[in-house]
Amino acid sequence: MNLFIIFYQYSKLSLKTMLEYKFDRTFITLAIFFREMISVVVMFLILTRFLHIKDWQLFELFFLYSFLFLSYSLFIFLFAGIRDFDHMIHSGEFDRFLTRPLGLMFQIVASRVDYPATLGHGIVGIILFMFTASNVGIDWNIQNIIYYIIALIGGAIIQASIFMISASFSFWTIRVENLRNLIFFNSRRIAGYPISFYPSIIQKILIFVIPFAFVNYFPAQYYLGKEDIELFWGGYMYLTPFVGIIMFFIVYLFWKMGVRSYSSSGNSMY
Amino acid sequence: MAFIEVHDLVKEYKVNIRNKGLIGSIKSLLIPEYTMKSAVDGINFTIEEGETVGFIGPNGAGKSTTVKMLTGILVPTSGSITIGGLSPYKDRKLNTAKLGVVFGQRSQLWWDLPVIDTFDLLKYIYKIPENIHKSNIEHFSEILGLDEFIKQPVRQLSLGQRMRAEIAASLLHNPEIIFFDEPTIGLDVVAKEKIREFVKFINKERNTTMLFTTHDMVDIEKTCDRMIIIDHGKKIYDGTVEEIKDTYGGNRILSVEFGQNYENILMSGLELIEEKGNKKHFKFAKDDFQVSYLIQKLSQQYEILDITVQEPEIDGIIREIYQGGIKLNESLSGVC
Repeated sequence: MNLFIIFYQYSKLSLKTMLEYKFDRTFITLAIFFREMISVVVMFLILTRFLHIKDWQLFELFFLYSFLFLSYSLFIFLFAGIRDFDHMIHSGEFDRFLTRPLGLMFQIVASRVDYPATLGHGIVGIILFMFTASNVGIDWNIQNIIYYIIALIGGAIIQASIFMISASFSFWTIRVENLRNLIFFNSRRIAGYPISFYPSIIQKILIFVIPFAFVNYFPAQYYLGKEDIELFWGGYMYLTPFVGIIMFFIVYLFWKMGVRSYSSSGNSMY
Repeated sequence: MAFIEVHDLVKEYKVNIRNKGLIGSIKSLLIPEYTMKSAVDGINFTIEEGETVGFIGPNGAGKSTTVKMLTGILVPTSGSITIGGLSPYKDRKLNTAKLGVVFGQRSQLWWDLPVIDTFDLLKYIYKIPENIHKSNIEHFSEILGLDEFIKQPVRQLSLGQRMRAEIAASLLHNPEIIFFDEPTIGLDVVAKEKIREFVKFINKERNTTMLFTTHDMVDIEKTCDRMIIIDHGKKIYDGTVEEIKDTYGGNRILSVEFGQNYENILMSGLELIEEKGNKKHFKFAKDDFQVSYLIQKLSQQYEILDITVQEPEIDGIIREIYQGGIKLNESLSGVC
């Protein structure tokens, strides 16, 4: 309970900081919104003019796409600290966390909330969701709504885990943000289309290596039940939250190893 | 058992050897070579509750590493530390609850927000009871004059104001021990003095144990009962500032302005160390000669316009210790 209060206090201060720079942050939010919206529009043009994906309707494809935005928005809202972790190591902020009577991961997660990115991606997600959710034949009963929320949280945790792997390298002063961005954002782009569309090797990567398939494809298939789900084991559709939790747990152990190495080797620079 | 006990503390770093040139860099990348460097090499000390202790030593001597181990940021390679019976890194959360840390070069205040916002956040982080939080803020505001800027964003504060807020922030939860890592760095004389007075006051008022690392000897002289000199990872002195001063501050400087430019002023006991025209500086040992005797002798032989006597500054003595000019005498009680 106390942790929730502290988390709330931190996010209040983050919000206040944002309001200090209303003008600037509004523009950042708009910039993110338009950048992402353009990718949606480009996808729309490609899908209406050149590309037909077997059996998938336009609304269904955008319903699939909406998961990426909403879960990314949730990830940034909850875990922006993990994204910015390497900066916390270099600036010495992490040393400060070590001198406080709270869990380290909690402080990392609580100390950053990136409202512009949350809103920028979130609004795109909400627009896509609003246009598609009622047009793809989903009965929004309680069970479906609950699964939807669980799938979003699971997807956010999967993305947090991917970022945390690269965050952990900061403990050994290895900078991998560029590699991470390369892998993360390209995988995300690929996951914008149904994975059945790709060669088997890419499908396997998106299921077992960088499990973006669990962020959008399998949850969307839970609702849409398109024919190509036959290509995969049916149980995948329910696995998103478990993949998220297991992956987070494994990555957390790696991260703990990093903390141990940091405090024993002291990469801190002064 | 003392409040803080440190036994045979050792901290070794793995240092990557970088080879010269492009080929060397590629080689180090592919086949990394390491050597072990000990930053702290077998340090022992104990500190009692309510003591104020200054750690000094040249850059890279191992002070900061020692403080980082005491605060639980780093884990020792070997040796042990206990603070009030707890291990700083094994019992990190318990230990840090009663610890305050002020880093002179790093802020814990939210840069874009008013000081009071950080104070509020700390209330939740340290679970400070509302009444204590409130009375502490009032109390510190009064002594440190925080009122005039507590509602201003930190980025608009002067360095002196920021340091005052920084120290208040570290004291809000009534810590039993507080670490100051170069608390007065970059401050002007007035701001430094204000901070020293406050620190002393809190030590008297609350019996808070205080540890400093600083390069400013005046900080140590004015705030610390005791100083520990660390060099090359070893403790070389642990005692009072006074003792060092009495033992090694035996020389005085006599600066004399003569009426005309005399050549070769010879007098037993006076050693010429610097001359600029009519102005000459001599060194003498205060135990061997009385100043009055020297002045009398000089004025008998020469025409004198002005004369001053200077005590050597502690800074100079410490500098000589670092540079190996002064070998600490075994007979001193604080020498290790």
